Amino acid sequence: MTFTERFVDADGFRIRYMEAGQGTPLVHFHGAGGLRVNPGHELLARQLRVLAFEMPGFGSSLENTRTKTMPELAATMAIALEALGLEAFNLMGTSFGAKTALWLALERPDRVRALVLEAPAAIRQPGAQSPAGTPEEMARRLSAHPERLASIPPPDPAVRTKQQALVQRLRGPDRDPELEHRLRGLTVPTLVLFGTEDQVIAPAMGRVYKDLIPGAHLVFVYDAGHVISTDRPEAFTEVVADFLERHEAFVISRAQTVIHP
Amino acid sequence: MKVSYFETARYAPPSALPSEWPVASGAYDPEAGAKAYRGMIERLQLVEELGFDWVSVSEHHYSPRILTPSPIVSAAFLAAHLKKIRIALLGPIVPHSNPVRVAEEIAMLDTLAQGRLIVGLLRGTTNESITYDLNPAEARERTDEGMALILKAWTEPQPFGWQGRHFQYRTISIWPRPLQQPHPPTFSLGTSRESCEFAARHRLGCGVSYGPFDVMAKSTRYYREQCERYGWTPTPEQIVYRANMLVADTDQDAHALLERQPKQAPFGMRTGLRDAFMRLDERNIAGEKRAPNVGGVLPTTFCGSPDTVVEQVRRCRDEIGAGVLDLSLHPPGSGDVEPLLRALELFGTKVLPRIRDI
Repeated sequence: MTFTERFVDADGFRIRYMEAGQGTPLVHFHGAGGLRVNPGHELLARQLRVLAFEMPGFGSSLENTRTKTMPELAATMAIALEALGLEAFNLMGTSFGAKTALWLALERPDRVRALVLEAPAAIRQPGAQSPAGTPEEMARRLSAHPERLASIPPPDPAVRTKQQALVQRLRGPDRDPELEHRLRGLTVPTLVLFGTEDQVIAPAMGRVYKDLIPGAHLVFVYDAGHVISTDRPEAFTEVVADFLERHEAFVISRAQTVIHP
Repeated sequence: MKVSYFETARYAPPSALPSEWPVASGAYDPEAGAKAYRGMIERLQLVEELGFDWVSVSEHHYSPRILTPSPIVSAAFLAAHLKKIRIALLGPIVPHSNPVRVAEEIAMLDTLAQGRLIVGLLRGTTNESITYDLNPAEARERTDEGMALILKAWTEPQPFGWQGRHFQYRTISIWPRPLQQPHPPTFSLGTSRESCEFAARHRLGCGVSYGPFDVMAKSTRYYREQCERYGWTPTPEQIVYRANMLVADTDQDAHALLERQPKQAPFGMRTGLRDAFMRLDERNIAGEKRAPNVGGVLPTTFCGSPDTVVEQVRRCRDEIGAGVLDLSLHPPGSGDVEPLLRALELFGTKVLPRIRDI
């Protein structure tokens, strides 16, 4: 599946995104490391129209000193989606981007059909540390199977500096009372995924989302780290696509066990 | 008439439970659970003394109302603590179990219990299918094949392979075999055409549950017709009717209790899930389509003073033809055991002796 690079002008930003596939749109917001097309995107794009955005201030975009809060970033992204004519879409947020996705879903529940939070960092264990260090050290924190990761090119120091400043400003406290209060009223069908080997956000945070968001579903992906869609792309894609199609009825298996007709 | 007491391990939650299915297991209280299981044995010793013929256990998952996810474990525990009463395993849910394992465990249990086991095999509803991630659309087929394989594993003296639709084994030869030969009294449980037909074809008993007499009678009539087609006649003891009963000193008291029963299931389901269940739980009474019961309560078909209940039992025998009543006594599913013990005493002393000859 080939992803095509595209841009959209919205809210005074020029926003880059990668797009592939047909069908129901699935909008994706990346984690604190920025946008990289990963095996999860590739597999999802076989069934859905995937639009993976680079949020303003990340990667190749200009430094973003204007956005002050996560709800502001979510508002900018909502404008970008509107500019693309996306009136109803599925929304997926990874780690840092899960919080952006949550704010967008809270503000525009009419537009978001279903929400997927991959290893969300919106609620963190006390003293949670972002991964840091050499590329090898980063890989060991992020992945349960760093040996399988394609070698990540060493980040451009300038990109890293501007992203880190933005992430520090927007990520908010480990526990964000305003967000958590609002989550009790979230009406969008929500799936929360954690890798059992997540070394960045404690998978036990999953139960907080479950407790707060009415009807939310929590799924642990065995033997995956923080980057679930990279560590276990097939397992990740199967449950995400099923949830996006059937929402809460996804608990009912459709697997066939016929061996011989 | 023979009488069975349906034991559900009455769990009394120390504080209010969440109201959504599946009930969060974090709300479970281990001490209250231990108390429920201790109470079960005390209660069943009384049930045995009162002269009940069987005690039955079932398989249900993810629910505080019936705390017996493994009927085999329940039955083994009861068999060890009770001396005379027969243990009816009405359970196990066949489609999500390994049929060879079920055959082995039942054979072992029947032998451990010195041949006191009764077995009922069933399909189970969609909510149970979810427990082990089974596709409910396949449950009926897996049940039929699983039951056929269980019967074969009990009775085939030579090692055999099984080339099924859903199950495949290269060689099966179970040890032990059941103490009761060729196997314990076995029932196919369910009101559907498929279940009754299977029972008739394999010369098994038939078990129906909860519905009004006239509706259950349609199933048992169909079952008897099918038995005739296969050239045999079932005895009354081969028809079990599981039902709720509210018995009190007077009709008025019993009806007052009935009034106080909840009017809907205690653990609701979110709409999307309930709608999916409604589609998948489609059922039939001897081939006649029926709406599924998702989020509703089960009817109480015996209600009144001992005199009234005796008459109802007589009518039940005439209409359904059941020779065994499997009773959930007041108040069904409740953890409040005091009224249950009073109802047991009342039934055991004032009703049971008078329905023996029905």
